Amino acid sequence: MNISYNWLKDLIDTRLSVEETACELTRVGLAVEGVHPHGDDHVFDIDLTSNRPDCLSHLGVARELAVIRNSKLKNKNSETEGKPKAENQTLVNIEDADLCHRFTARILRNVKIGQSPQWLVDRLEAIGERAINNVADITNYVMHELGQPMHSFDLDKLTENRIVVRRAKNGETITTLDEVERKLDDRMLAICDAKKPVAVAGVMGGLASGITETTTNVLLEVAYFDRANIRATSRKLNLATEASYRFERGVDIENLIRASNRATELICELAGGEAAEFIDVYPTKFTPSEVESADISAATRRLTGLDVSTEDCNRILNALGIVVSDESAIRDPQSTIYLSPSWRHDIAIEEDLVEEVARHAGYEKIADELPPAFGAGEYQPTELRERRLRYCLAALGFDEALSYSFIDLRHDGPFQLVPHLVDGTLEEKFVTLRDSVIEGAVRMRPTILPGLLEAVRLNMNHQRRDIKLFEIGKVFAAVGGDGLPKEQKLLALALTGSELQEGRSMTGRPLDLYDAKGAIEAALGSAGIASVSCRASEATHLRLGQSAEILIGDQVLGYVGRLSEDVAARYKFRQAVFVAELDIATALAGPGDLIAYKPLAKFPGVARDVSFVVPRRVELGAILSEVSEVGIDLCRKASFVDVYEGKGLAENERSVTIRLEYRSDERTLTEEEVEPLHQMIVDQVTNKLGIVVRV
Amino acid sequence: MSEEERQIQGIREAFEQEFERFAALNLDGMALSDAEARLQELRELRIRQTGKRSAIAGAMKLIGRVAPHERSAFGQLVQSVEKLIAGTIDAAEILLSDHISAARTELERLDVTLPGRRPRTGHLHPITILRQRIEDIFVAMGYAIEDDREIETDYYNFDALNIPEAHPARESQDTFYTTKGFALRSQTSTVQIRAMERRGVPIRILAPGRVFRRDTPDMTHTPMFHQLEGLCVDKGITMGHLKGTVTEWLKRMYGPDTVTRFRPSYFPFTEPSAEFDFSCFKCAGTGVFESERCRPCKGSGWIELGGSGMVHPNVLRSCGVDPTVYSGFAFGFGLERMTALMYNIDDIRHMFENDVRFLEQFR
Repeated sequence: MNISYNWLKDLIDTRLSVEETACELTRVGLAVEGVHPHGDDHVFDIDLTSNRPDCLSHLGVARELAVIRNSKLKNKNSETEGKPKAENQTLVNIEDADLCHRFTARILRNVKIGQSPQWLVDRLEAIGERAINNVADITNYVMHELGQPMHSFDLDKLTENRIVVRRAKNGETITTLDEVERKLDDRMLAICDAKKPVAVAGVMGGLASGITETTTNVLLEVAYFDRANIRATSRKLNLATEASYRFERGVDIENLIRASNRATELICELAGGEAAEFIDVYPTKFTPSEVESADISAATRRLTGLDVSTEDCNRILNALGIVVSDESAIRDPQSTIYLSPSWRHDIAIEEDLVEEVARHAGYEKIADELPPAFGAGEYQPTELRERRLRYCLAALGFDEALSYSFIDLRHDGPFQLVPHLVDGTLEEKFVTLRDSVIEGAVRMRPTILPGLLEAVRLNMNHQRRDIKLFEIGKVFAAVGGDGLPKEQKLLALALTGSELQEGRSMTGRPLDLYDAKGAIEAALGSAGIASVSCRASEATHLRLGQSAEILIGDQVLGYVGRLSEDVAARYKFRQAVFVAELDIATALAGPGDLIAYKPLAKFPGVARDVSFVVPRRVELGAILSEVSEVGIDLCRKASFVDVYEGKGLAENERSVTIRLEYRSDERTLTEEEVEPLHQMIVDQVTNKLGIVVRV
Repeated sequence: MSEEERQIQGIREAFEQEFERFAALNLDGMALSDAEARLQELRELRIRQTGKRSAIAGAMKLIGRVAPHERSAFGQLVQSVEKLIAGTIDAAEILLSDHISAARTELERLDVTLPGRRPRTGHLHPITILRQRIEDIFVAMGYAIEDDREIETDYYNFDALNIPEAHPARESQDTFYTTKGFALRSQTSTVQIRAMERRGVPIRILAPGRVFRRDTPDMTHTPMFHQLEGLCVDKGITMGHLKGTVTEWLKRMYGPDTVTRFRPSYFPFTEPSAEFDFSCFKCAGTGVFESERCRPCKGSGWIELGGSGMVHPNVLRSCGVDPTVYSGFAFGFGLERMTALMYNIDDIRHMFENDVRFLEQFR
């Protein structure tokens, strides 16, 4: 909203400089975002909040200024007062008074359409408006001065030279001033002549009935329309104008005659017109909203901590046009009834009055204070463990990603979702948006992986080959009936390329499935969960044979593995990409593993390594569980050493080396004692699994 | 000169002759391996010249042949030659050894400016870093961190927040809706309602989270972003407490000299309402940094951060809280904006592109 400093001074006696004015307006909530010189004038760029349509004019801003310095608005008497009233009451007929609360019309005859004088052009240009012709410029000028949108018709183009205000009929059309033909319906208010719509009420006039160079007789409309209806019409027609902007926020219904008179006076003066008949149809009289306050000073103190005497409160409120009702004392001596002025649509409750008092008394006068203590601070239950998990992943070289919660529908198919997220019995399992601002992205993600893989691709496009990313965020799934969708927090990883060293460009070992698994184990371990395991399992988006379920205890919480060729091809990945996704909310919901101290060994142990040649389908897990099956108490630990495949072994074989540790709590074991035990374990494992020891 | 003395003289001359190539040895720039070979030769020479079967050792036997009155003088002569030989070799050996150890040090000298050996460290997202810092400050001030639904009903997203049907914020061009008619929350204020319903009052909570608005992505807008919402409701809470709390938080965040400014504003869910600014962390509110216009605050000295106010009585009522007994304040702001200001990020779309070149700049 642009406001001219010189124009303001026409309306108010003020000694405030340009800078002081900007500063004071900002202080009371009319944020001056910039001051721009224009000739000998200065223009304020004011950012108005949506509750203050009364300040969408110079008069409105002047009113705020008047409160600040307790100065006085200039009272402009109009010479048009006393000009003839219409004899013919049929000039204006309001059929739908629920949508048109007041309508005034002024006839002006012998008007000469032409250019506006320079002072008028300058004023309009200062606030960024373009001059068109004298009558159009005057209506525009008065709107910016007094806040009242108005419209001028060519009287001679109105059938029967009269106005009917009614709902449009379905199927009626009108070509508006912007030369677009618009379809009206019976929920829109139209200004009509005897036959047809000549304007969309409060939004835009019709082209056919508008002012042209040949116009001589003008009908000037100044009216008040129902706010919600103008808003709805404007949205429906996708047509927002300066007029609709003001009408839908609310104009001053009591200001119509002043505005009409001001415009009439200017048209007579600048376009040679003669003021003729005037009619004011006012079916829905303004009643000020009443706000009750037992003690405005106390209310101000209670809500803001400011000490403002009742006298000062009332001075501020009065200056803003909020007056104490004459009936106040009669109706209830215990409280005061304030009446809101016709230009304020936002004063309804005592708190609104408090805000008016506080902003003019000054927010800067409110003393800083901390609230009294109450209770102890607390994080979200899983936050601190989540933090450890984040730090752990970062230490392992993972960068934290955040991606959009909505993804492209095309991503749905290939991904195996974490267990129990989606209700398979539903016809519509997912949450979908009606539309999006990013093309195609209407699915509320049921998996984080598409976002992460998109990020992997973006980084690869920037010549980065070695990438480790993780994200913690919510995914969504539909629930049956009318229930709100399910929201669940997941952890996802994506990694590809080789190991990186800080500060060194040469890469190390290529990453593989065990890096993904290791990261999950380390991350969960850092959050106090050590009982993480993996079990071979075929997830749809993972490559067969390199795909596993992630378990905590015996609960499956997600999947880890190498991205399948099929999915990799969708992203044009030409190197192996490993991903993992798991239900972190469930993982962290439990208490975490208890730690129980085990006494330190007093005697040294004996370690024996043994390598088995196994078919590839035989897993380490099977070997280790066979070892414990044997049940040798002195065998304290069986651990993985290495795996080997290649030269010296058949194609379908690999060699797995494990280390068995023998130890007694009573004595130092000898080789002779250990040997038969070790042999017994090795024999049983080879027999049970049908495998052989590698020699 | 006696025969014996001549013999000693001969030994000495023979030594000097053999030692000559060591005497003339030029160590400058001599390679380590050469020096080591020379040292080896020198040690062999020492054995030859000073060992049990050396000429000088044999000369000691001559003492018996010398006339008794000359023995003492002769003995001294032999000893002096012996000393000369040993001393000369010692000196040469020290020189060589020093050279060798210096050369070896040089050979093993490391470039300590090479990077330490460690795996590349990953980085937390700047939004996470900031969120955690702010959470820590408010937990220390007795606030509970709340997290809640991202998909909401219109009731929680609008009605309960006193945003009426006709309010511009409610128009569907600003809000995402699911096909079933649920809204993606357009502000974290929804958590005010959920938390008050769940916890009752008095209450002090801080709710960080994702919010969604139908903005086409550009330098300063993304359709998804993060807000942080604070709420404090109790008996006797005033705007003074709001100002005190926000100021305390920003002082802990940006240093004790930080000052705040509250300006009247309008939000449907607060009355009175205020926007809050704080003195620029870069130029300390002067508007000038390194004699140029300060960037984060655009030279104004103030950074506009968020919205705040006293919780609207309708909001309290919709949570079953009596506004004549309780009052409260709420404030909220966007984390992306704060992050962008702090790190001088010119395009907030970077926050969700996950370009590692972006992510690795934060820790």
